[in-house]
Amino acid sequence: MKTAFITSLVRLMDKYPDVITITADMGFDVFEDLQKRYPNRFFNTGVTEQASISFAAGMALSGYKVFFYAQAAFATMRCFEQVRLDVAYNNVNVKIIGTNAGVSLNQLGVSHFAIEDIGLMRLLPNMKIFSPGDPSEMEWSMDQAYKINGPAYVRFTKAGGTPIYSRKMKFKIGKAVNIKTGTDGAFFATGGLLSMAIRIVENLREKGINLSLYSVPTIKPIDGATIIKEAKKKKHIFTLEEHYISGGLGSAVAEVLAEEKVATELLRFGFPDKFTSVTGSINYLLARNGISIEKIEKTIENKFKKL
Amino acid sequence: MTKQNKYTRLKKIAHETRRQVLSMIVAAHASHIASSYSIVEILVYLYEKILKINPKDPNDPNRDRFLLSKGWGISTLYTILSRKGFFPKKYLEKYCKDGSKLIGIATHNGIPGIEATTGSMGHGLPIGVGIAKALKLQKRKSRVFVMISDGECDEGSTWEGVLIAAHHKLDNLTVIIDYNKWQSFGRTNEVLNLEPLKRKWESFNWKAFEIQGHDFSQIEKAFKNCLSVKNKPSVIIAHTVKGKGLSSIEDRNEWHYKTPRKEELEVAKKEGLL
Repeated sequence: MKTAFITSLVRLMDKYPDVITITADMGFDVFEDLQKRYPNRFFNTGVTEQASISFAAGMALSGYKVFFYAQAAFATMRCFEQVRLDVAYNNVNVKIIGTNAGVSLNQLGVSHFAIEDIGLMRLLPNMKIFSPGDPSEMEWSMDQAYKINGPAYVRFTKAGGTPIYSRKMKFKIGKAVNIKTGTDGAFFATGGLLSMAIRIVENLREKGINLSLYSVPTIKPIDGATIIKEAKKKKHIFTLEEHYISGGLGSAVAEVLAEEKVATELLRFGFPDKFTSVTGSINYLLARNGISIEKIEKTIENKFKKL
Repeated sequence: MTKQNKYTRLKKIAHETRRQVLSMIVAAHASHIASSYSIVEILVYLYEKILKINPKDPNDPNRDRFLLSKGWGISTLYTILSRKGFFPKKYLEKYCKDGSKLIGIATHNGIPGIEATTGSMGHGLPIGVGIAKALKLQKRKSRVFVMISDGECDEGSTWEGVLIAAHHKLDNLTVIIDYNKWQSFGRTNEVLNLEPLKRKWESFNWKAFEIQGHDFSQIEKAFKNCLSVKNKPSVIIAHTVKGKGLSSIEDRNEWHYKTPRKEELEVAKKEGLL
């Protein structure tokens, strides 16, 4: 994913002279070439996430489109007020790139996890949120972040580097991407866990449970129309994300369903409302929080057995 | 021309500004009169003598920028902007009224002359640093002036911005500190001591000047000095009096919050502010 990110950024900087990149001292082994290539359009502002966001807003107020890069945890939470006021309220062209979202920095624990970031960014008017699930979604997200007028948040995890689509896709802001069609339920996944969702849906298919599968590369705006369309036809909706089930994709889907009053059951897979104060591999941490192919498959299977 | 005469016009504008601010604050039953009064002379001088701005073209990319980081002193800035012709004086009557865009904090909501939303503490300086850097990249001669409060020197983000500005040698940036020695809950040296303030800024590689912030001759000299500083940003530490200009509220912290009422207004009348 990081490769797709840096390739996209370089492409944007090559093509558009109004692109500036700012990093709060992140990007070892990512930005070295860019720094050399664009010494006047690439700035490392040091470990100053708060002032860096304000600085980026100042540059955006002066006509630039500024990509700000930091660990997702520090790009959104350390400087939330600056994002809220200087970026979102001023409605300026600052595009926040949160790398290592979710539990990507698995060994470092909660301080370096970002499983609240989507929730926080969703609260802000003017903010658009991209959560790409494969390299092509990443490239598209970066292009869109550049093209839209106003703030954007692009978050990505360590997972998600495997290409999902065999052909060139036409993505659209606020549109979920239909990957599989099924009649028994609909599964919405976002970000790096998309490949896990595909495995789950494929395995379930072998067991006679046919789910539609959607990738959700834009969480704000959310594709309410598709969610409602699916919910009206099906009894079960599932969501999967590397984020707390509250605040992120699961919440967004729940809000759409609640307001539409459709009789469908929603089951959200993601991090429950507790801190994970142990270390381990990414897969270990996910599984410990109920996010594994086996666990999710079993849970969904049980749903259908009860019918 | 004697010194006295030299500043007569500016003094008159300052007085008129205070009159207008008082009427706005009383009409809206608003707070922050004392914070608005302590910055009057500096803002009058900036807008009359320093800033290269055109009210008819408020977004001219070559304009100088002023950010009122202590955005709660906004009634003074609104008054001055309207005086300069950025918007009609009649707008001022809407200050802090239902549905008005003239919010009690500097807000980037389409009011001509307001460059950014500032007033949550510690935002204006780093935003100004970003603008100053952008202007340098665009090879424009424009300058950026940011007025911050002494209380904002408590904020970490202020000092982050101070570091970035010095690192980039932004000599097109001048910060003015409204050092009125009061913050929300008490005297600055009792709440969180800022001294030695000048040496702090100097050690961060800024050129620092210290003045009495209500004296036009000192203000004039300080700005003149700042304009000639090269390769580093500059700061004017302006010793001011909170509530300056209305004797009954001067240097008393409750006027950060309260709206002048009968007793103070009688004094204001005697002092020509009503």
